Amino acid sequence: MGLLSDPSISTQSKLVDGLARHVRKVCYALYVAGVAWFFCLALPEFNHGTYLSENALSPGLVYPEIRIDANRLAIQLLEELQRERKDHLSTTPHAWIAAKMNEFGLETHTHNYTLRYPFGGGKEYHGKNIYGILRAPRIASTEGIVFAAPYRAASSVHADISASVPLLLAFADFARRKNYWAKDLIFLVTEQEQLGMQAWLEAYHDGDRDLDVSKAYLRPGNLPARAGSLQAALNIEVQDLEIDHVDVRIEGLNGKLPNLDMFNLVQRIMAREGIASGYKQAPRKKRRHSQSHFEQNLRQMLTMLASQSSGVPTGNHGLFHRYRIDALTIAANRRATHATLKGSPGSAAVPLLKAIEGIARSLNNLLERFHQSFFFYVIVNNDRYISIGDYMPALVALVACAFLKAYLTWSTLPATNAELDKAAGWLKEHEQEVELEENLDPDKFELPYGSVLIYLTATLLIGFLCNVLPLQQYFLEIPMGAAPLTTSVLSFLSLIGFVLPFVVVLPPGGLELLHVAFLLIYGCALIVIGLLNFALGFFAAVLTVPLVIALETKEENSRSTLRNTIRLATLAMNPMMVVYVIVLAMTFYQFPELPLQKIMLRAATAAMDASAYGLIDSVIYGNWLYFVICTIFLPLWIICWTLSLSKRRDYADYLDFDESPSTPSQLQSQVQPQSKVKTN
Amino acid sequence: MFLKLLVVFGLILASCRVEADNTSVLPEGFVDAAQRSTHTNNWAVLVDASRFWFNYRHVANVLSIYRSVKRLGIPDSQIILMIADDMACNARNPRPGQVYNNANQHINVYGDDVEVDYRGYEVTVENFVRLLTGRTQNGTARSKKLLSDAGSNVLIYLTGHGGDGFLKFQDSEEITSQELADGIQQMWEKKRYNELFFMVDTCQAASLYEKFTSPNVLAVASSLVGEDSLSHHVDPSIGVYMIDRYTYYALEFLEKVQPFSKRTIGEFLQVCPKRVCISTVGVRKDLYRRDPHKVPITDFFGAIRPTRVSTDRINVTLANEDDFIFDKDKMVTKKPFKIVMESQFPSELFK
Repeated sequence: MGLLSDPSISTQSKLVDGLARHVRKVCYALYVAGVAWFFCLALPEFNHGTYLSENALSPGLVYPEIRIDANRLAIQLLEELQRERKDHLSTTPHAWIAAKMNEFGLETHTHNYTLRYPFGGGKEYHGKNIYGILRAPRIASTEGIVFAAPYRAASSVHADISASVPLLLAFADFARRKNYWAKDLIFLVTEQEQLGMQAWLEAYHDGDRDLDVSKAYLRPGNLPARAGSLQAALNIEVQDLEIDHVDVRIEGLNGKLPNLDMFNLVQRIMAREGIASGYKQAPRKKRRHSQSHFEQNLRQMLTMLASQSSGVPTGNHGLFHRYRIDALTIAANRRATHATLKGSPGSAAVPLLKAIEGIARSLNNLLERFHQSFFFYVIVNNDRYISIGDYMPALVALVACAFLKAYLTWSTLPATNAELDKAAGWLKEHEQEVELEENLDPDKFELPYGSVLIYLTATLLIGFLCNVLPLQQYFLEIPMGAAPLTTSVLSFLSLIGFVLPFVVVLPPGGLELLHVAFLLIYGCALIVIGLLNFALGFFAAVLTVPLVIALETKEENSRSTLRNTIRLATLAMNPMMVVYVIVLAMTFYQFPELPLQKIMLRAATAAMDASAYGLIDSVIYGNWLYFVICTIFLPLWIICWTLSLSKRRDYADYLDFDESPSTPSQLQSQVQPQSKVKTN
Repeated sequence: MFLKLLVVFGLILASCRVEADNTSVLPEGFVDAAQRSTHTNNWAVLVDASRFWFNYRHVANVLSIYRSVKRLGIPDSQIILMIADDMACNARNPRPGQVYNNANQHINVYGDDVEVDYRGYEVTVENFVRLLTGRTQNGTARSKKLLSDAGSNVLIYLTGHGGDGFLKFQDSEEITSQELADGIQQMWEKKRYNELFFMVDTCQAASLYEKFTSPNVLAVASSLVGEDSLSHHVDPSIGVYMIDRYTYYALEFLEKVQPFSKRTIGEFLQVCPKRVCISTVGVRKDLYRRDPHKVPITDFFGAIRPTRVSTDRINVTLANEDDFIFDKDKMVTKKPFKIVMESQFPSELFK
């Protein structure tokens, strides 16, 4: 370590320089530590058993009072509904549902909404939700709980869940006879999957406000009646009254989760009723017992993060989270065979009805919104979880690489090096003047802050345009599908980003400064994304941090093969490329029988659709994914691409400058013309 | 006239003493107890400090004790009942207007004649301390005051959620053991009690009486420091825990006590052994001068004052003195009787 024994450098700089030489090793060590920490979380020593921390819930203290007559009612309603479905192939039998709700004594209302589909010249869709309110008998209507069942028309491509509505109605009929409700119960039947729910929620919360109708894509309208502030919601998706298992779905919009207490409550009550239930519960036959605990846990964690990272809710419950209403879906799956049927078919749904009753009574006990337990967690197993405090270090370790590298790059910028050389030179000549000179030096030498800032702004502008352009009236009027339109706009803007570093070249020191700025923005962006949606932030970090660590602007330090590899990797990390690769992998997984060429073609159309859906999701539901990719990841990629190319305008000048520290006037003259070139 | 009255009283007292000395028909133990028991009236302060539906059991606790002391003779005017939440009318209560302390639901402890003196948000630390020390604000209703005196035996029962050295009131504040000890010391200094029985059913309840220094205080707590007090059972039709263990077993004992029962406080202190209570019951006797095993439980839980039964004739009519004197010679000449009043104010100091 000759560096450390060099007397010309102060101790602090010694450390910094020492680190700077090994910055890659240190960063890769951090990266490995972060990833290893994440894997460790699957070990039982690193995660915790779930528990209920909200006392008020008191789950399972009441005996269920719902009896077999409710099940009989459900069966009868299901038969009636099946007859109705024959007449309503592609619509919801609104009249029948409303009539039943009225019959059970609920305060029944309908809610109309309109979707103005912006692409391809514009179209209008109309939808209708039905809801019945059961007012709390002995308390003011200040709080409410929602029990929702989506209705799928017979023509839908998704699995038939028509049993949910009869089950909901049977429970409503039971609940109406009870006097202990301290909150209004809302029984809601929505149509058109998440759209209906989104419209209902918007109408519930903002329906009486005057919104700019011309701008809104979804016009939710208003509701004729409300039930106070909503405390919790339970979405019920039942395939059949005879169920095999219940899958508890929790991931909401943008990866938000309901309070862990809510999940635990459902698990506890389901267990009491003897229903096989869990997060991503597999059917009885498919449950694997051969895997080790560690493998199972890791698989569970990764599937949860994967479904969270897209930000798309896994059910109608996910839209509630935006309004700070804890909600989840209990998706009851049909029993495959009747061989294992224990009880008579006449009592098949009783356990599920009892579970719904138990959940309802616990939610009824709530004194305020869920606030005790975790909102940020990863489910490892049905009874084990990782809290934010435990999983965040993994991401922090990954992101720390960026900040560490940013600091070390900053402290070893050419200017600073020059200063140090100069200082070292002077130290030998006249030792007493060193302090004075060091204070003066930074003023003399100036990094091209202005041009770097302009460059950054330009890249961010490209990202911003990705968000805005596809929704401009001019583009919308083109008679073109959403997918080709979005894709073409995105590809065009990405192309601009691709070409940008060839056209605009930064002045000396600019690349290094850009590198520091890139690392800082990248680090901040990842940590913020990770806080809002850990899954997205973590996956993005795992994917990109190695590249960011490897990235180097100093040409003389690295071999050309390494540089080319980095360039290739950067190209592969293009957000559009990544989206395509992910879609390709999913297509391959789903249709393994197809030939590769067909798969690639199909994946391309699917990726185009995905980008269009991302845009639509962002404007209708408020999904951030499209925004994050366009406004954050794309600009970051452009900068990364610039850095990996390391195009220097005036290489000779730069070398010159590096060797002998130039006077301020010389530097000024160097900087000035280049910034002009850039603006040209 | 006043002097005459005093003379008659003096005579009666003198004759009584002569009789007691002579006959001694009453059992010695009772006489002993009666002479030591100096209280003339009983008061009870019953506090439920916690609110919310899931704390139903605390309300059931306090109402059960209320029912017992009322049954044993303390009138409503001398019971201060503080209940922080209204369970009977809670919208979640499947049996509106009723509170039970047992899953069998045979006693509605929220009966027809419960007088709650401090309710809901009136149950605060400030109000409780003001009540104990008698520093109630102007205009406080008589029913909200503890009008005890130097002859009062006071029962204080607290229930709620406690920790090491404090008891939580409502959801926002807590009374510390030091504040409690200071309040009781002030009661003693202001001659607001003769004897005080302090009973508390919370987690780490024993921490609440640790700081007491005032004399004549007997304290019992449902659990020691570091222990939780547990609930007894759930009523699955209401969906809440019904009653706490310690109070449950205390009530089991009290239900068998009748107003003239010979049960003692000593027995009462042992109602909840660890095997049923799970927590260890803490007792503090060092401030109390009497042997708890000789103190009738009704000294605190009832309104039974020491009485003596006399079968002999005692003349208590306040007739003219001359009417009774038939033979002046047979009369025992009594010495001149003079009453010296203690001066109320040390005026001699200022002379």
